Amino acid sequence: MSSSTESRQTSRELKDNLQLLMHLPMLTGLPMEPLKLLAYLCRRQVFRPGQIIFQEEDLDPNAYLIISGKAQLMLEHPRELKLIEIGELELVGGLSLFCEMKRIYTLKALTEVVTLTLSREKFQKTLEQYPDIGPRIFEATARSIIRWETHFVREHLSRCTECRERMGIPPT
Amino acid sequence: MITKRPLFYWVKTSNWKLQILLLVLIAIGVFTRVFPLEMQKRIVNQAIGLGKVDLLFLYCGLYLAAVLLASGIKFVINVIQTRLGQQTLARMRKELYAHILTLPMGFFRRTSSGMVVSSLVTEVVSAGEMVGQAIAVPVNNILLLLAFTGYMFYLNPLLAGLSLLIYPLILFSVPALQRRANMENKNRVDATRTMSSKIGETISGIHEVHGNGSYHIENRRFGEMADLLYRIRVRWNVYRYAIKVLNNLFQNMGPFILFIVGGYLAISGRFNLGALVAFLSAYEKLYDPWKELMDYYQTYQDASVSYRRLMEYFDDQPEFALAPLDRPPYHLAASVHVRDLSFSVAPRVHLLQKVSFDLKPGESMALVGFSGSGKSTLVHCIGQLYRYTGGSIQIGGREVHELTKQDLVRNAGIVAQTPYIFDGTIRENLLYACQAIDDPEDEEARSRLPSLDEMIEVIQQVGLFVDVLRFGLNTVIGEEEGQELHEKLIRMRYRFQSEFGEVLADDIEFFDIKKYMLYSSVAANLTFGTALRQAFNPEYLSINDYFLWFLDKVDLKGPLLELGRDATLQTMDILGNIEPDDLFFEQSPMEPDEFEEYKELSQRLASSGIDELTGGDKAMLLRLSLRFEVGKHMTGELHPELQDALVRARKQFRDQVQADHPDAFSFYRMSSYLPTLSILDNILFGRARTDLPGAQERIAQSLMQLLIEEDLLERIVEIGMDFRVGPKGDRLSGGQRQKLAIARTFLKNSPLLILDEATSALDNASQKRIQRVLETRWKGKSTIIAVAHRLDTIRNYDKIAVMKAGRIVEMGAFDELLERKGILYELVHGVKADV
Repeated sequence: MSSSTESRQTSRELKDNLQLLMHLPMLTGLPMEPLKLLAYLCRRQVFRPGQIIFQEEDLDPNAYLIISGKAQLMLEHPRELKLIEIGELELVGGLSLFCEMKRIYTLKALTEVVTLTLSREKFQKTLEQYPDIGPRIFEATARSIIRWETHFVREHLSRCTECRERMGIPPT
Repeated sequence: MITKRPLFYWVKTSNWKLQILLLVLIAIGVFTRVFPLEMQKRIVNQAIGLGKVDLLFLYCGLYLAAVLLASGIKFVINVIQTRLGQQTLARMRKELYAHILTLPMGFFRRTSSGMVVSSLVTEVVSAGEMVGQAIAVPVNNILLLLAFTGYMFYLNPLLAGLSLLIYPLILFSVPALQRRANMENKNRVDATRTMSSKIGETISGIHEVHGNGSYHIENRRFGEMADLLYRIRVRWNVYRYAIKVLNNLFQNMGPFILFIVGGYLAISGRFNLGALVAFLSAYEKLYDPWKELMDYYQTYQDASVSYRRLMEYFDDQPEFALAPLDRPPYHLAASVHVRDLSFSVAPRVHLLQKVSFDLKPGESMALVGFSGSGKSTLVHCIGQLYRYTGGSIQIGGREVHELTKQDLVRNAGIVAQTPYIFDGTIRENLLYACQAIDDPEDEEARSRLPSLDEMIEVIQQVGLFVDVLRFGLNTVIGEEEGQELHEKLIRMRYRFQSEFGEVLADDIEFFDIKKYMLYSSVAANLTFGTALRQAFNPEYLSINDYFLWFLDKVDLKGPLLELGRDATLQTMDILGNIEPDDLFFEQSPMEPDEFEEYKELSQRLASSGIDELTGGDKAMLLRLSLRFEVGKHMTGELHPELQDALVRARKQFRDQVQADHPDAFSFYRMSSYLPTLSILDNILFGRARTDLPGAQERIAQSLMQLLIEEDLLERIVEIGMDFRVGPKGDRLSGGQRQKLAIARTFLKNSPLLILDEATSALDNASQKRIQRVLETRWKGKSTIIAVAHRLDTIRNYDKIAVMKAGRIVEMGAFDELLERKGILYELVHGVKADV
């Protein structure tokens, strides 16, 4: 397809979505067709300042990619505890795309937040259409979990014997 | 039991009146097939040979009559066969389905639903249809064979004997060839498979091939396989043609013998010409019944094999009888006594061991423990979902083993861990459990079904009320709901705008004649009204000549056609190469059932410009663009300039239509009801924004008070009860499905209530709400056994049983167990999260 027909064939919003998704680690290396489908299935949502995007313990089937604005990640139980701030181009809740799960923290909009939201149902229907991409996405996801785990082990394990043993590291 | 029946059972139990009628018809039919042969002989010998015209007419007339009768009878025979076959098929399906539904849960764990589907949909077909033919086909063809050969022997025994000699030869040689062909076919399949996997491997590893430049290696490997396949395919085809040729040859050998022997006999005067012609016809007719018998044998073999496999597959016993035969179902007191209960799935694999407890009617018990400890298994045994293998469970003093399903469902309500909601309305799903208890034919039973008030009460209890209200608000009501409702809605519209107009200004896009409405369609934006005549309905506008004329007049047709083209091409660009799910059409103006039609159109669009399209194609493009909603659709783009142009044309359209077709539209006015728009849109006089999460809830909450004051709340909830939940309830969220499942069990009002992690898919607030209902409304009235997945809900249960590895390791009241500082104490103070 030549670039001139391409531009006529894709609306601006769709192109923006595609651009955003292409750079997500979870979706790296996917062929164009399923990426386009995902870009098309995403919805944009606008949250007002102070609005809860999702709440701890809620079953929320969506993954959110923040396009603009800032949001606060926080714990509400057993007492309110502010965690980090999430900003542009960060993905929150990606694991909910794989199975039903309760949120382990609350995400609250600090400013007006625009998100690109994808629901589990749409994501899984896409996987049904393009079964080949499943293993790639699982691999990319597993890799990011491993990366996170490694990071966690290096940062915190010296302080926690039980964590070390659970991770298979002998006590010092 | 159905699975023990041989295939011939279905023949024996088929409609015998029809079978006998069939046999009579067959007998007549055979006669009408042989009779023309005799006429042939007489026409040649007596009419033509002796030159008698009157005899010629007579015999030809009889010949024609016999042929017509034969065709007629053949048709009727086929109709009867079809009836018999299809009747049996329907009967088989119904009985097998009924049987499969009663099979134990364990059966369904090892069986995929796809297997059951294909069994009932496709695999029974051959067996069912076989029954239609089971008697008619063999009888008919054997009789025909006998009649033809008999007739041949009657004409000339020597000739008949000689010409039938060929048949044993066929019987011997064709199957031998067939076996070889089959073998080669098997080789072909194997070789093809090897080749396919080789291709797959090479393509997956193509970077290695490119990297190493090893094209010739791969070509050589593939070449060997292709050559092998070539040789096998040649042999296979040779055998197949050999069979065909041989069959033909034998077929044509017959007449050869006939001519040489028969001709010689005729010349020597021992056989007359008419008889020779008749003999030849008889011989040629022999082939059909012969072939049909062979085919019948094949179908019979196939059908009986697949039938046997099918029945073996479902050959399992239901674990409980469905209904008592000699008494009405019991009304049990809901005491539960469990003694030394055990449940094993295999020797020495015990899921439950020595479980004992007692509950008096009205007592409540919570089961806690780690997952895999047997909590769900225990309640499944109590609820007859599993058949326990040892010990005893008594409900109201009766052993659960011996109760029928009807006894149990009358006395116990079960909410499953992952409840299932069936396609239908909210109301139908609410009544599902109640209706299962009673016979639907029974007039009196139907009157016992819960009333609307009771249904509303339970949906309030489980926290589904606002959801159902929302479904109601989103409904477009028909004319029959009446003027009075319309007036109330208009009254509410004014009140809503004055009371909430400002607060909710961001959540709603009000109908404003000066602005383009992003959350309404292009058609609504342009017409700014709803059609009163069908020809002006949005879906018909694209073929409405008056409307098209207007579009041309205001120079909008071109831009709108382009929008339609872009929407078509973009949708196809994304969905064109897959088999899209209905869900994928939410963000496109195209409907799922129009997909194929537009796919073809997109191919035409690829080769020609919009101007070259036919009128029909253009109408299709317009149809899409008129549906286009900026705030919802992703394929296509409506530029601000075009939006402004549409707003400008709006006023022109109104003036023009009011002059030309004053009765065609009801334009959006604060003071008039808007047909074809939902109740909500009518009250809002606008659309709720779809990209603002929470907007719908905020609006519904604000509306609630107004609805109460206008006495409309229940009315609209009742309308919402008719909301269709979609297959598997997929138009509901997971939480809504679980609430609906709890509501349908609550509605049953049964003395024993079993909850298997019934609130696991609910948010905290909903969980607490349902826990509160259990404690206030149900405690003391019904016996409750609840598998708990959170420890903060169990405090007020009479008893708490802590399970570990299939046993109850601790039991008592909450405080008592905490004081004991045992396992519950550890659970509560150790791991805070889920148990």
